[in-house]
Amino acid sequence: MGKPLLRIEKLKVKGNGREILKSVNLQIKRGEVQALLGPNASGKSTLSQVILGNPKYKITQGRIFFEGKEITKLFPEKRARLGIAMAWQSPPAIKGVKLSQLLKKISVDRLQPSHHPPAFGRHLGPSSVKLTEARPLLEREINVDFSGGEKKMSELVQVISLNPKLVIFDEIDSGLDIKRLTNTAKIIKKELVDKKVSILLITHSGAILNFLRPNITNVMVDGKIICREKDYKKVLKIIKKYGYEKCKKCLPR
Amino acid sequence: MAMKNVKNVYPVRGQRALTEVQRKQTSNGANYWQVDHEVRNVFEVKGITVLPSPRAWEKFGWTRKWFEKKPKEGYFIWVKKEVDFPLATCITIATPKISQNLNNLLVIEKGIKAKAIVTCNAAENKLCGKHRAKGKLILKDNVSLEYNHFHKWGEKDFVSPDYEFILGKNSQLLYTYQNLFPPENLQLKTTIYSNENSSSKLNFIINGLNSNIKIQDIIFLKGKSSQGIARLRLAGRENSQIEAISKIFAQAPSKGHLDCRGLLLDRTAKISLIPEIVCQNKNAQITHEASIGKISEEELIYLRMRGLSEKEAIDLIVSGFLNV
Repeated sequence: MGKPLLRIEKLKVKGNGREILKSVNLQIKRGEVQALLGPNASGKSTLSQVILGNPKYKITQGRIFFEGKEITKLFPEKRARLGIAMAWQSPPAIKGVKLSQLLKKISVDRLQPSHHPPAFGRHLGPSSVKLTEARPLLEREINVDFSGGEKKMSELVQVISLNPKLVIFDEIDSGLDIKRLTNTAKIIKKELVDKKVSILLITHSGAILNFLRPNITNVMVDGKIICREKDYKKVLKIIKKYGYEKCKKCLPR
Repeated sequence: MAMKNVKNVYPVRGQRALTEVQRKQTSNGANYWQVDHEVRNVFEVKGITVLPSPRAWEKFGWTRKWFEKKPKEGYFIWVKKEVDFPLATCITIATPKISQNLNNLLVIEKGIKAKAIVTCNAAENKLCGKHRAKGKLILKDNVSLEYNHFHKWGEKDFVSPDYEFILGKNSQLLYTYQNLFPPENLQLKTTIYSNENSSSKLNFIINGLNSNIKIQDIIFLKGKSSQGIARLRLAGRENSQIEAISKIFAQAPSKGHLDCRGLLLDRTAKISLIPEIVCQNKNAQITHEASIGKISEEELIYLRMRGLSEKEAIDLIVSGFLNV
């Protein structure tokens, strides 16, 4: 575990003239799986977009560090090349561009030219679990007429092919039936968690947490992380029983 | 295709040795290669006549009807037999300030299915050359032609192709014009005359960059049950002015559609799309759609988060839009 891979200090963020994140602190260590729960519009997706550097959001205070280096002002592509990846909740469609074309462009070879033999083949070998699932998508235009489940699979294949150090999953589980959810969790475990890739899992449901067993579960309400708890089951139980507001009790620890 | 079926009917003095690729291409089918005013190669295959246009004018009196006046240069290709490889032509400008004035004629006899790869280009970037081409393409009854037209020019060239396709009964045309390297000035005119039950599908793919482009395409639906679709994809990059007038005239019970789309990428660019549909028959159905948009910020940021630079992301989105 050791030093934090990602460190966020007192982050305040505005979007559309409104303050969305209100002094967020977060640390994720190498190989750690963390969950981020919270009601709709609490700022979870904004946090993930800000970690990746979406210029739509303005950082008014605070800093972000990755592997000890400050990345607060880096371009998104630089952050991606450092090893931060995100699976989007609702990814946009890129008309006329096949998923396979994008995968070829973004695969780890390109980002780290010193790697050889080709890591693309290694990461996307036909025998690997995820490709079996994603194969029907490869020759289709990215996210054009993809079903909810297909979008999730496409996101998953993309982030894995980036060979990242940290992956943020923005509701990778939403809208998936139980079979697909299990399968998605299995792929995340095998391809990322088991390879010591750090994970930040934004979710609403406990099901995926049962599979991936986060080391720490964070609760975000109204732009603030109000709870950090090791036992995800406990958090889920309290949320289920009393709603997110009750988590505030965890705050003065 | 075995070499014995291929004869070089027009050896030219000072001809450079062909590269392996060119040799492969030329030996692979009927081929016409012209550089500046000089015919570099004419290859004929059994069942396909290939001649420089002036020779065709002399040799085959019937071609005069199509050429209208005696051509100075260009090619004549007469397909009398179906072959299983594409016809290939290549017209190049290679000398500064050269001015080509071509008359091309392609005639495909009844019932033949053919594919053509037609390339026109500049050998160097700043030749300030002129390339004018007037082409007639005659598809007789029941012909099916896939015609792929590629342009690659230097940034100071003037290019003006004017092509007419005459579609016989039940014939089909799939025409794709692709220009990713536009000249300073491009005037592209395409006219389709559709007879009974014939169909045409036109794709114009143009990447505007430091250029003034004027496109005019007209489909005349003359015959009963004829069909025509024109699809334009125009990207307007730095210092490009693109004007596209896309028309369908329905004169018979027929169907037609115009699909014109522009993507504006720079503040120095301008695209104007003018779809026009004219109906002279109460049983015809003609529709059109036209739009000009910009690159979505969300798509751009999505690709950048995958590690693509802004430029790479734009290029990928544009290539998707143009579908190349």
